[in-house]
Amino acid sequence: MAAEFDDVCLCARRLHAPCHASSSPLLLPLPRTTVSVMASYESIAALHKNIPAFSPYIPVAVLPYLAFILLSVTFGLTFYFSTIPKSTFPVHEVSVASLASILGGFGVVALFCSVGVYV
Amino acid sequence: MAGHWGIQFSFVALILFVKLVSAEHSFENTAIVRTVDLGGSLVHVTTTYAVKALEDDSSIYTIALGEDEAKKTSWMQAKVKGQTVPLQLEKFGLSPNTGAFLYAVEFPKALKANGTANLVVETVQTHATYPWPKTAAQNEGQSLKYEADLFILSPYPTLVQRTKIKSQFPKIHSYTTPEGVDAFTLESPVTKSGATLTYGPYNNIPAFTNKDFTKSQQKRIAVQYEYGNPILEITRLERAAEISHWGANLNIQDNVWLHNAGPELKGHFSRLEYQSQGYFRRVAPHTLSSLSLHLPAGIHDVYFYDLNGNVSTSHIRYAPSVPKGSSSNHFSLFEFRPRYPVMGGWNYSFTLGWDAPLADYAGWDKESGKYIVGIPLQTLYPGAVVDEAEVKIILPEGASDIKFYPPFPAIENTISNYITYLDTTGRPEITLQYQQLTDRHVGVIYVEYRVPFSAHLKKPLAVATALIALFALAFTWKRVDTRIQK
Repeated sequence: MAAEFDDVCLCARRLHAPCHASSSPLLLPLPRTTVSVMASYESIAALHKNIPAFSPYIPVAVLPYLAFILLSVTFGLTFYFSTIPKSTFPVHEVSVASLASILGGFGVVALFCSVGVYV
Repeated sequence: MAGHWGIQFSFVALILFVKLVSAEHSFENTAIVRTVDLGGSLVHVTTTYAVKALEDDSSIYTIALGEDEAKKTSWMQAKVKGQTVPLQLEKFGLSPNTGAFLYAVEFPKALKANGTANLVVETVQTHATYPWPKTAAQNEGQSLKYEADLFILSPYPTLVQRTKIKSQFPKIHSYTTPEGVDAFTLESPVTKSGATLTYGPYNNIPAFTNKDFTKSQQKRIAVQYEYGNPILEITRLERAAEISHWGANLNIQDNVWLHNAGPELKGHFSRLEYQSQGYFRRVAPHTLSSLSLHLPAGIHDVYFYDLNGNVSTSHIRYAPSVPKGSSSNHFSLFEFRPRYPVMGGWNYSFTLGWDAPLADYAGWDKESGKYIVGIPLQTLYPGAVVDEAEVKIILPEGASDIKFYPPFPAIENTISNYITYLDTTGRPEITLQYQQLTDRHVGVIYVEYRVPFSAHLKKPLAVATALIALFALAFTWKRVDTRIQK
């Protein structure tokens, strides 16, 4: 679509740029969105460099030992669960099973990370 | 999504193409020097424009590339000579009147009338060379051919221009001697000095205002040269970067489809010939027998396998971790041999992956409550072009409020769901698609995301739920009498 000269100046004015009578129609300042995108990348790069490094809630070096301890306790509790006699209100069974499950859950996650499957 | 490509397409400028034909010129090129560094898959071109402004407040300069050159150009950067910060490049696309692709840069300071500036434009061309001859026997050499336009196009008149074509290797078999350029030079149109060809100087090249110049004056030149390294093309690269908060680990895995784009092997492959070449250290240049890669510092547990299994012919020299975000020169050196030598026209696909401490790549922004991670876009293979690349960044389960900032805008980007070990709802996966990546497409993709503490508990609770289900089963089994007779 051809643009008349007046359209060129109109576009220039919309971009708040000077419009020279003898200028090439391509002589328009770059859109502000381009400059802001570059600045955005530079700023995130600078922020990434300056913020503290990632630190896990549980140190990685502790995970193998944690896995061993938690899974050992889970194993023990499971054995204990199997010895609990039946009762009308199985509060003891439920509490032991819950505790074993929670500890087993964390133990399995720690085990996975210890063997190289970083979940 | 934010991008940092340096070239943006302006729809406003689309409507202004035609006016370029009749517009007066506010610049004049006092000299243009184009230097072409011949390679295999990649050709680096550096063009220096010595520019003089013809009127005051001249700040925006238009660069032109021929249609063939523009299609091959995969990376482009413009700088004022002596400055390190690149200028913003605005891409205007094909000009129908001139048949050239136009780009615009804005000088940091507008030039006054008769003011001068030196503009350095660097480009990388992909698939610009081809093997010639097309086939080669196992013990023969390798030669490539490169073709280009003789005259450098510009919308401004040029007082003098020259093109230097440099080969890395000393032997240039043949080159074009242009004819019919007497209007532009009284000297020899081309001179050869060692491994460098100089086309020019050519004087008083007019501004191209229409296609007549291209049809009547533009010439095509070709150079056939020896090339002593295997020509590598990565037809497809799939990179997956998986972030683990529990393991404080970043796993990066590349699935690579490698192609030797050199002359196709003539005849059959002879293991005896290959072994004797290795013994006498005279391996043919079109044979890829080994490769050395620079992997990031601080990595561990590198694995390298292909369809048949683990490939044991490799060595890795680890480098210690460097601080996050630092521009360090340290790298881990990975030397590997493909399972078989990759001859011209052959393919080899493999998987290369490693683990790295997440602290080397990610950080925690206390103010926003977000994690910010920087993932390298690609691992550079020497002199290789990547035809298609897919980069996946897999965030931890429960990540939200995700924003990503690639160094170059992707052709396509999506966020999907990815399920792996111990996942329940799945993890967000960012996928970025790229094409024609070169050795200049190095950069880091930054991703910021939020992961609440409760999201970290999803995995243990999922496992706990499975265990409690087993306990419930045992609980029920204890109370069910399965005896046939009491």
